[in-house]
Amino acid sequence: MTTRVAPRRATRPLPAPLARRFEALLFDWDGTAVLDRQADGSEVRELVDELCAYGFVLGIVTGTHLGNVDGQLAARPPGPGRLYLCMNRGSEVFVADEAGVHLRYRREATPAEDAGLDAAAEATVAALGARGLRAEIVSQRLNRRKIDLIPEPEWSDPPKARIAELLQAVQERLRAAGLVSLQEAVQIGYDAAVAAGLPDPRVSSDAKHVEIGLTDKSDSARWLLEELARLGIGPGLVAVAGDEFGPLGGLPGSDSLLLVGEADRATAFSVGAEPTGTPAGVIPLGGGPARFADVLRDQLERRHRGDPPDIEDDPAWTLMVDGVDAHLERVHESLLAIADGHIGTRATPLFAHTAADPSVFVGNRYVGEGSETELARAPLWNTLPGRPATPAGVRRRLDLRSGLLRHDGPAEALQLSSLARPGTVAMRVLAKRRRLPESNRRVLEHDGVTTALFDRSEAGRLERIGAVARSESEALSALAAAGDAGFERLLAEHRGRWAARWAEADIVVEGDAELQRALRFTLFHLMASVPESGEAAVGARGLSGHGYRGHVFWDTDVFVLPFFAATHPESARAMLEYRLRRLTAAREAAARLGYAGARFPWESAASGVDVTPSHAHLPGGGIARIRTGEAEEHIVADVAWAADTYLGWTGDRAFEQGPFRTLLTETARYWASRVRLDHEGRAHILGVIGPDEYHEPVDDNAFTNVMARWNLRRAAAIGGSETERAQWLRVADALVDGYDEMSGLYEQFAGFFELEPLVIADIAPRRPIAADVLLGHERTAQAQVLKQADVLMLHQLVPDEVAPRSFLSNLDFYEPRTAHGSSLSPAVHASLLARAGRFREALAALRIAARMDLDDLTSSSSAGVHLATMGGLWQALAFGFAGVRPRGDVLVVDPRLPREWSALELRLRFRGNPLRLRIERTGVSIDAPPALALRKLDEHWEVVLT
Amino acid sequence: MNKVIAALDNSLATSPVLATASALAELFGAEVEPVHVRTDGARVARSVAEAAGLRLRELRGPIVESLCRTADDPEVVALVLGARGTPVAKRPLGSTAVAVATDIDKPLAVVPPDAQVAPSLRRVLVPIEAASRSLTPRTIVQIARGTGIDIVALHVIDETTVPAFTDQPQHENETRTREFLRRYCPWGIDNVQLEIRVGHVHQLVAPVADETNVDLIALGWSQQIGAGRARVVQTTLEQAHVPVLLLPVEIAKTSTGAAGGHVLATV
Repeated sequence: MTTRVAPRRATRPLPAPLARRFEALLFDWDGTAVLDRQADGSEVRELVDELCAYGFVLGIVTGTHLGNVDGQLAARPPGPGRLYLCMNRGSEVFVADEAGVHLRYRREATPAEDAGLDAAAEATVAALGARGLRAEIVSQRLNRRKIDLIPEPEWSDPPKARIAELLQAVQERLRAAGLVSLQEAVQIGYDAAVAAGLPDPRVSSDAKHVEIGLTDKSDSARWLLEELARLGIGPGLVAVAGDEFGPLGGLPGSDSLLLVGEADRATAFSVGAEPTGTPAGVIPLGGGPARFADVLRDQLERRHRGDPPDIEDDPAWTLMVDGVDAHLERVHESLLAIADGHIGTRATPLFAHTAADPSVFVGNRYVGEGSETELARAPLWNTLPGRPATPAGVRRRLDLRSGLLRHDGPAEALQLSSLARPGTVAMRVLAKRRRLPESNRRVLEHDGVTTALFDRSEAGRLERIGAVARSESEALSALAAAGDAGFERLLAEHRGRWAARWAEADIVVEGDAELQRALRFTLFHLMASVPESGEAAVGARGLSGHGYRGHVFWDTDVFVLPFFAATHPESARAMLEYRLRRLTAAREAAARLGYAGARFPWESAASGVDVTPSHAHLPGGGIARIRTGEAEEHIVADVAWAADTYLGWTGDRAFEQGPFRTLLTETARYWASRVRLDHEGRAHILGVIGPDEYHEPVDDNAFTNVMARWNLRRAAAIGGSETERAQWLRVADALVDGYDEMSGLYEQFAGFFELEPLVIADIAPRRPIAADVLLGHERTAQAQVLKQADVLMLHQLVPDEVAPRSFLSNLDFYEPRTAHGSSLSPAVHASLLARAGRFREALAALRIAARMDLDDLTSSSSAGVHLATMGGLWQALAFGFAGVRPRGDVLVVDPRLPREWSALELRLRFRGNPLRLRIERTGVSIDAPPALALRKLDEHWEVVLT
Repeated sequence: MNKVIAALDNSLATSPVLATASALAELFGAEVEPVHVRTDGARVARSVAEAAGLRLRELRGPIVESLCRTADDPEVVALVLGARGTPVAKRPLGSTAVAVATDIDKPLAVVPPDAQVAPSLRRVLVPIEAASRSLTPRTIVQIARGTGIDIVALHVIDETTVPAFTDQPQHENETRTREFLRRYCPWGIDNVQLEIRVGHVHQLVAPVADETNVDLIALGWSQQIGAGRARVVQTTLEQAHVPVLLLPVEIAKTSTGAAGGHVLATV
């Protein structure tokens, strides 16, 4: 809301499709915004200035040049909105702001193109002349040539009001020359352009002229829509205005060129007379520039009074929940949770409901002690006092593209947790039949976290801006800064930031719309859950729920970090910083056990000390001792692997020379001290738990040993003293890995092959299944039934460390024995099955991973989304199907595309360079800066640094 | 004043029936009225009632009709009768009890002849299924909440409902328990202890009741007894060593899915 003077209201109500808030408007100038080039543009200028101050984005699309439009409009609007001037029929784009008018883009014709335009124009004049029609080339504008079909003084500069007369006069001339219609004249121009060597000429007519060009208004429209996408504004939030959409002389109206495919969901309207009608989907508003001004005033009024903005209603990007289902409400609140890397807010209904579980989680902040340590919760900012709404009338929608949560029902609201200003939140509410809190400012505290809120309430509307921080002074300072920015600027920043993040990380699967939606949901939660600076303690459920108390597992290092290493390395670095800052605790843990180096805990929280609970109630009754904290030690190598993964994608030399070396050294020291040598000099790691937690503890778990071996070798390549390096390499070579050359199999742990050879795929009613519940704990422990990929994880994480050609034999052996009783498992198998080209099984596993939270497959999504499954899903697409993997200074691309998909596209960042990788049946291509190039080898591709 | 009817016959269950009625009366805030449908003399029934300081009301007429008519009284909140049989030779509900159970729309407690009935109810076992069309007896849970009685909610996983994932049980089980209760027993979440077992529910109710030392088993049921129906009720009545309270439950007509079903609609 604002203290500005209320704008003049629209003269007449607008039709329903226009009576809503838009975020951007593309419009024609001459005849739409102003009557003609002589009209006074001051009223439009005022409206433009005000709208831009409210964050509105405007784009003028016209055939004329800048001088004509800017001469009339002369707008120099303040932000946060923008004014784009798309001039010269799609060939130029300028931005006008307080500092002036700046060129953003110009299509530069090559000399050959210029020559082609000249030749085409001359040929057209000649062709018309041959038919007895005198025409003249009247201008050589940027990238186009204009041919006057009626070069007579009477028609030298006809006003728009005489268009019908003009058209008749031109048609008479054409008929006299034996031409059937204006279309035929345009066709002559088009044929001439093609003959002149222009491959994609844009030829049109405004009744008086035939215009041959390299671009047209559709290019302007596309440019603007792309720019709006970069600002986080989708076409559903855009209005398009003109006065000549309908056909003219048998040719499409000039403004119909604005209706490009990308604008399908935009709302188009015409203020023109449109004598032949408007195309389907264009609202015939009429009323000329005066009515256009009404539309602008209406938009201004909505912003002035503080209406909650709407969100894009794109099915590919929207999650929607209707009503409040008492059974599923907590799940829905997790799925629609919004977060900004620092805080996460569950999508609770605006007004309290008994089924709700409202919380605001604070990342990197814990309360409690020992295994009871849990994420701190901030005071609520997203709910209002009052009786619960009737569930049937409530709708919540999450726009994944812009991270905005919209509520509809007895109150409308828009909520955001600012990705541009983590910890800052904002909400606008319009209550139709509700009493809202009075304007107030307050400071609340919970779990040592402060939330400062400022409410401005007026006439049934509430605007709330808040800041969550670790201290009152920090919160108040952030609140003041946010208040100075204002809601519209916060919204614009937030949208823009999300748009930038999507541009870095989006995945497109062509051929599977349902998977595509699930992927967007997945990527949204990944990006929302991790900060991009400082340290990032990423709990198993991110910031969306209380599940797992925010404890940090190998989930974070192995499943989540790779996504960030490959798309947003700052966040990956923050995740590593979390581990690095707990090296001291890790060293102490190792020392307590009599080992050297650093031993990271299975479950980590604030201090880096192990916080794994010691017991659990079992589903079948009884209490079980939990040994993972004592014995699941592969976490040590997992952390090292995560650091190496980050390095592989980024090439961060400073990290490599400093923290990476320290981390690898300390973890290698741990393994070197941890092993036990037998009398034959073979090294063993006894009494551990591998990823397959159905068997515990075991000796010589293949995953643990091979990862330890990798860890030792990697460390020897980069750190340690000469003596240490030699020792590490000796130990690495001596470590048993359970591999049998004859069978090609890795024995998962010593004695695994002697267990009861149950193949869970044959006996279970379905998979995934909790085999320990189905068969009982004891029976499962005595059988060859796996909870999740164990040996196979080696092929996923360190494929170069396992025996060559051992992949398929181990896949054939272990996959049917895997119950997938861990939600981490399906995504890993999807990846591996894709590598093996077993697409039917790979896609089945992929779908399970993709629907894990959407279908509440674990019955625990009420406590938050499964971030590791989400990271695993990304890895399945990236490593499994796209076959992307850094190898030194090269990014290997070895895709496996199922026939169900026509293309797979990933956004990645390799060595600091963004790239869009596209995989199709016909091959691979990249869209990248010059620093990267794609080369094809025999069996695969490589992206190389140039 | 509300009443709990204790239907006393001359069997071994007579004393436990009256004791159960007293305990239920305390729960429902009612008084006990012992009745006897005179068929073969009322000596045992009369003496048990007198020993409890109560006056026996004798009814005449067909047993089932008499008891049903008595239960129809708006002041009657529950009926208690004995399971036929001796501790040695157990049988499920006798024909009288079946007829009464399927006819009245009020709680009916069936008391085994060897039941050791506590003077006050401290703990009640309630089986709960993970289904929106649930027979969970909401009323008993709500009443228990108001009187400080502990509820042991029993959920049995069978082959068709074995969960897909275990993940980290030290965290997962706590979450699932909490969520399960919020979904299927939200009215008493603060005083409900969830016991999860694997097997077949009809085989587990009575053993778990023994294991958890409850005073009463409360079963919601649809009042349909016959081939293949009410298996839990029948088996529990055969095996229980404590009174079993049968609560008629109208199945909700909701169509929302059970846990694990499709959660979300996209636009």
